[in-house]
Amino acid sequence: MTTTEELISQVLQGLPVQVKRDRRIFIAVPRDDLIKTVNILSSELNINHLSTITARDTGKEIEILYHFLLNGVVITIRTMCPKDDPTIDSIVRIFPGAVLYERELNDILGVVPKGHPDLRRLVLPDDWVGGYPLRKDWKPPQESEE
Amino acid sequence: MGRVKLPIGPQHPALKEPENFTITLDGEQVVDVDIRIGYTHRGIEKLMESRTYTQNLYLVERICGICSYAHVVNFTQNVEDVLGIQIPKRAEYIRTLFLELERLHSHFLWLGVAGHEIGFDTLFMYTWQDREVVQDLLEMISGNRVNYAMNTIGGVRRDINEEHRKKVLEGMDYLEKRTAYYKEVAVNEKTILARTENVGILKPKVALKYSAVGPTVRASGITVDIRKDDPYASYRETPFEVITTDTCDVLGRVVVRVLEIFESIKIIRYLMEHLPSGEIVVKVPRKIPEGESISHTEAPRGEDFHYLRSNGTEKPERYKVRTPTMANLPAIAEMLKGAYLADVPIVVAAIDPCMGCMDRVLLLKQDSDKAGEIIDGDQLRAYGIKWYAERGWKA
Repeated sequence: MTTTEELISQVLQGLPVQVKRDRRIFIAVPRDDLIKTVNILSSELNINHLSTITARDTGKEIEILYHFLLNGVVITIRTMCPKDDPTIDSIVRIFPGAVLYERELNDILGVVPKGHPDLRRLVLPDDWVGGYPLRKDWKPPQESEE
Repeated sequence: MGRVKLPIGPQHPALKEPENFTITLDGEQVVDVDIRIGYTHRGIEKLMESRTYTQNLYLVERICGICSYAHVVNFTQNVEDVLGIQIPKRAEYIRTLFLELERLHSHFLWLGVAGHEIGFDTLFMYTWQDREVVQDLLEMISGNRVNYAMNTIGGVRRDINEEHRKKVLEGMDYLEKRTAYYKEVAVNEKTILARTENVGILKPKVALKYSAVGPTVRASGITVDIRKDDPYASYRETPFEVITTDTCDVLGRVVVRVLEIFESIKIIRYLMEHLPSGEIVVKVPRKIPEGESISHTEAPRGEDFHYLRSNGTEKPERYKVRTPTMANLPAIAEMLKGAYLADVPIVVAAIDPCMGCMDRVLLLKQDSDKAGEIIDGDQLRAYGIKWYAERGWKA
């Protein structure tokens, strides 16, 4: 185990940490604890790099993964939000680099980051009305047979 | 005179990320920048969910036309990770060779673009001619100049023979000489210094704050390189240095890339001299088990991040890609604040953006009530060169 990984396991003691393999750590937290956990990463581990945010439609819920990078170790916070209340606290205040990733989250999966300063569309057209393309119930419009 | 808003961009059909910068100007100086992307959103992540892993191998390669191989390496690494297989050593070396050849041609291409943006077209002609040497090597081994289709899940598809090895080493000798010349030019040529020194400043604190990546942060003195920090392919056993400078400006980004070319040449020589013998591919099952994996590589532009979630079928459940340009966009906005309008093309070019917005720049003069004067990217570039020429700059 590298020293970075020792440090991480010390700081994250008590949290539900899962080590998938070398340099890949996952922490599952309830949605209400997201900001608290992100704060620990930022203030106690001095992590300053957010690689990106991934989200996935699991059926009833949307799984959101925040991928952080510390000395080559990818630390991922996993949280869930129900589809009938698709909101999550914005982490932009702690990681300003999240600004575009959270806009993307809102855009293609319909998860609203609460407290985000600017939630305009990012990848979809401004006049898009076709729903959230990365949700599983979204199907691309069929081309006509002609 | 009041503040003027200039929409720059958005579209270029050939590249991945055309985008729009709305730049607020106070006289000649940029005070604010707003970014809008998505003009060529192709829905690749959604499309991947309805394609098999083998089909996706070729789809992923088409995310980008320059750093296509970084994407395909990430994809294969993710699938191999979920399968829990180890690819042969020789395949790892061949993958590393292609990753570094890709970095070489990308950095030569960038150097030419940077020269072009500041009106130094001789540099553009030189570097693009030298880039052909790399393209020929790629074509010789893979059959393709871009989108090499080298990878398969479990290894690589084509082997390297003795003749390839010799030609690659000859190519490196030539490129090393050329790069020594570019290094001389980049740090001594007054015309380059005048346009790049203290331009597009990105302080280390700001670079970290916005999670920027690649040569952009390394030019701000931050030592981050996925090849070193989280070694993949054969980087663990391949000696090389992580290049940084602390000038935090466009010149620093030029220097970092030129010196990285030397490191890539060094890596390629090492690979060619220590190429292990043996198989290049292992057989893998068609069905990929349920699981998830994260793979990131140091693409020429910085950290390229991929996430795979598999569900036990022959198609992925979810695939996520974050390209380095996306990570560097918020930092661009910071670099442009306080810059002169004439510096916008080179500052944007300095992150090596994977998009073509600068080809179609619109500049609307707001102090007329008519539609305003519209000029394109070439005209803005000409304006930048003229603006500096009037202040004594000469190419």
